[in-house]
Amino acid sequence: MPAMIEVVRVWKVYSVGPVKVPALSDVCLRITKGEFVVLTGPSGAGKTTLLRLLYRDDLPTEGDIQVLGYDLGRLRQGEVAALRRSIGVVFQDAKLLPVRTVYENVAFVLRVLGTPRREITQRVFDALRVVGLSSRAQAYPAQLSQGEAQRASLARAIVRKPPLLLADEPTGNLDQAMEAEILDVLRDIWAGGTTVVLATHRADLARMLRRRTITLGSGRVVKDEG
Amino acid sequence: MLGFLIGEAVRDLRRAGRVAVSAVVLITLSLAALGGFWLLSLNLERAVARWRERVRVIVYLKREPAPSEAKALVERVREVPGVAGVLYISKTDALTSLKQLLGKDASVVAQLPANPLPASLEVTPAAAAATPEGARALLERLSALPEADEVTGSVDWVERLSQWQRLLTTIGLGIGVVLAVAALLTVTTATTLILHARRQETEIMRLVGASEMTIRLPLLLQGMLQGLTGAVIALAALVATHSVVAPRLEPLVNITLDLPQLAFLSPINVLALVLAGALLGGLGGWLARAKS
Repeated sequence: MPAMIEVVRVWKVYSVGPVKVPALSDVCLRITKGEFVVLTGPSGAGKTTLLRLLYRDDLPTEGDIQVLGYDLGRLRQGEVAALRRSIGVVFQDAKLLPVRTVYENVAFVLRVLGTPRREITQRVFDALRVVGLSSRAQAYPAQLSQGEAQRASLARAIVRKPPLLLADEPTGNLDQAMEAEILDVLRDIWAGGTTVVLATHRADLARMLRRRTITLGSGRVVKDEG
Repeated sequence: MLGFLIGEAVRDLRRAGRVAVSAVVLITLSLAALGGFWLLSLNLERAVARWRERVRVIVYLKREPAPSEAKALVERVREVPGVAGVLYISKTDALTSLKQLLGKDASVVAQLPANPLPASLEVTPAAAAATPEGARALLERLSALPEADEVTGSVDWVERLSQWQRLLTTIGLGIGVVLAVAALLTVTTATTLILHARRQETEIMRLVGASEMTIRLPLLLQGMLQGLTGAVIALAALVATHSVVAPRLEPLVNITLDLPQLAFLSPINVLALVLAGALLGGLGGWLARAKS
């Protein structure tokens, strides 16, 4: 299977004054198309840093990263935008725009990318259907539960039908019932053909999902199983 | 896409609220000042042009030449540098003109024992000679004619009018520039506030792979919208002021400057003001983005 993500000997070192703090140390991993990978490890293990490198929010101090055929170390500004158009990203905080409805939040992404107006409605409602939020399309973020807000955020991430979805602690703020809802949605998205990388500090969640699990500890890959 | 970008720009303007309103007011003031002085300057320029066309230099002749000599003299004067036209006025022509001028009192002329008026040449200066220096040089050249007794005529006061017109243009530009700088700073402030307010949108736009142009264009557009709004209000104020003031001033201006009508700005001038507004606003938006 061709690699969707290839991380080769990646280091990420932050400088705090004169002190060098390694966030990732010699990380190597390979994720193929159609996988559901859980990236786990305690807080500060380097999960978020690794995800940020994958959607080119930051560059590694050393090493090579290839995502969807892009060599991230050599991307020009326009290519970074092209890469990101193929990746959906969700965070612990749903990051919804408070003055726009759920529909407008999801449609915003398509409008920004110049999608024809006639396609937008259909695609937004398709995405809302996948996350089970069609009935809340006209609600504002302040009127949503945390679980609904996170589902809206997922709808926004998948509305462009990206081949890769990166989820950084998407259940971090949720109770157990809402967490189960989100995991179900992520499984549905994966079943639809999207490669999913889910970062979570919860080892039990990784066990529960029974998918390939990569465990990070102090910036290193300490286990890759499943 | 354009609809989306304009929609975002309008949304941003609403967010900026009072600061955006202040920016529009300042752009209105600067363009109204600029337009007002431009209007005054334009009309003074028209008056100057009219008066320049009417400037004449009169060469009074020592004696009335014979008709053939008069014709040769006119031809000779026409060749003098700075002369655009020459008209010979005989003693009889001069007396007829005087009678016309006197109207019902023309009978007093009949009491004269002889025609006291000299023959003369009415010289129309060329455009190059319609300046104080040009006119002085022309007067010197005409005074050097052996037939000339006395030469009169000056363009000094026309030139003074022209200087006033240039002064008005400079003052207008000065005030306009000072107000424009204030407007620019206010648009920049409004855009900086907008940048802060829309940081979440910007973050999401970058995250989903929007082009930098799509991210930046709404900022430029909202600045241009502020500028265009200011320009349209300034023009409306100028039109209203002109339509109220011009009919009241025209009789006075007609008597003093011989200008029957106070003209409004030409369509090109109006377009230039609108473009200046858009440019001012767009520049403010761009500067804020550059600062960020």
